[in-house]
Amino acid sequence: MLKTFAELNFPGRLIAVEGLDGSGKSTQIYLLKRWLENQGLKVYFSEWNSSELVKAATSKGKKRELLTPTTFSLIHATDFADRYERHLLPLVRAGYLVLCDRYIFTAFARDTVRGCPPEWVRGIYKYAALPDLTFFFKADLEVSLNRILDGRPQLKYFEAGMDLRLSTDPYESFRIFQGRILELYLAMSREFSFQVIDANQGVEAQQALVRQIVTSRIDLESFKYNGGAHPMPMRNNLKTKWRREIIEEPSYEDREAEQHH
Amino acid sequence: MDGARLRGKLIVVEGADGSGRSTQIVRLVDWLEANGHATVQVGLKRSTLVSAELERAQEGNILSRSTLSLFYATDFADQLENIILPAMKAGFMVLADRYIYTLMARDLVRGMDEAWLKNLYGIAPVPDTVFYLEVAPEELVQRTFAKNAALDYWESGMDLGLSRDMFDSFLEYQGRMATQFRRLQKIYGFTIVDGHRSVEEISQELTEKVEAVLIGKNSH
Repeated sequence: MLKTFAELNFPGRLIAVEGLDGSGKSTQIYLLKRWLENQGLKVYFSEWNSSELVKAATSKGKKRELLTPTTFSLIHATDFADRYERHLLPLVRAGYLVLCDRYIFTAFARDTVRGCPPEWVRGIYKYAALPDLTFFFKADLEVSLNRILDGRPQLKYFEAGMDLRLSTDPYESFRIFQGRILELYLAMSREFSFQVIDANQGVEAQQALVRQIVTSRIDLESFKYNGGAHPMPMRNNLKTKWRREIIEEPSYEDREAEQHH
Repeated sequence: MDGARLRGKLIVVEGADGSGRSTQIVRLVDWLEANGHATVQVGLKRSTLVSAELERAQEGNILSRSTLSLFYATDFADQLENIILPAMKAGFMVLADRYIYTLMARDLVRGMDEAWLKNLYGIAPVPDTVFYLEVAPEELVQRTFAKNAALDYWESGMDLGLSRDMFDSFLEYQGRMATQFRRLQKIYGFTIVDGHRSVEEISQELTEKVEAVLIGKNSH
């Protein structure tokens, strides 16, 4: 399809954030969401791999190491299609500002690094419109790694790319895997006009820049609620997201311990 | 998919519910095993990864078309990589009770983009032989009622809103599926088998064709 929502003449706009695990993008989009909500705008937030039904299967697949690169790719594509057709597209059509923590570029980068043919992956997401604005949070690998380890004690199996058998050391594997993903993101950056944000700087500086760019690119006034009930506050917030992730996917070390029993 | 390294054969039986697929597969397995071939069976919605979730999704009828389509593709890919390919490498005869053609026909009837489907299922190896058991919708109704006394929601295409009358919808939907299969047959060249004949007659036809595949007469 390769058109943005604006180019399709839909009243809403979609803003996506992309970046490595630990680049701080979730924090930034959360702060952006709060800022937009506080202005009384129609905002909807959606994150990668969050559709209820598909998540059960993904979680099972990850825990039991059932996933191959192809099924890993397809199960995330299923999750995306579910969210796209039931939430993202209808909300953009209803004039919402839709915020996405990761979008199709995550699949383009990750699945390709896992060995799926790039044209095949892109073909699967062909029906999806492009974001009107995509922020790419570019952080050094060490900064990403340290951010993850600050939030929780250990690396997760798939985020370290352990399924690719790049290294038996999860930290080394993380560096190689995320390094390859970073290369693909940078290659896509021009093709899809990413707004690159230096994610090595402080949270406040990044957020100020994000808000400035959003203001200059999107006519926020037109997303004000006029009439009708005030929007329900979103229940998902940053804290619950982290808690859930930790419960759902055992860390690499947990898995190792389990296997040795 | 590099077929040369796959020593086993992939035999696909397509057809609507009630077309006699399972009966014919049982007979093929018997025949193959009697002749010393090891067999493995796969089918739709049988993967370890997502079959339970897929079943649940269908009960609620809450998924949109692309989502359901990708869910089925995930189920297929799981069996492809964990059963079909390893079994074929090991020299097994793989019998598929339905394959990507059913999935494609279902989606095509629902108006999905053909190029998108072809890309999606580009991962599937070309079978050594594909049988499509063709049975007229009117006969399928009779066979279904003889077994179940109720028509299945999805096999009647009720999600398409063709008719509020399930009987009418079933006939219309199965007719559309048959049209898509005939179209796909022209592209992929599979064998259309007249499913109105006796079990023995059909079985004999399938066995002969499979025998030809085994001794390499088949051009595929």
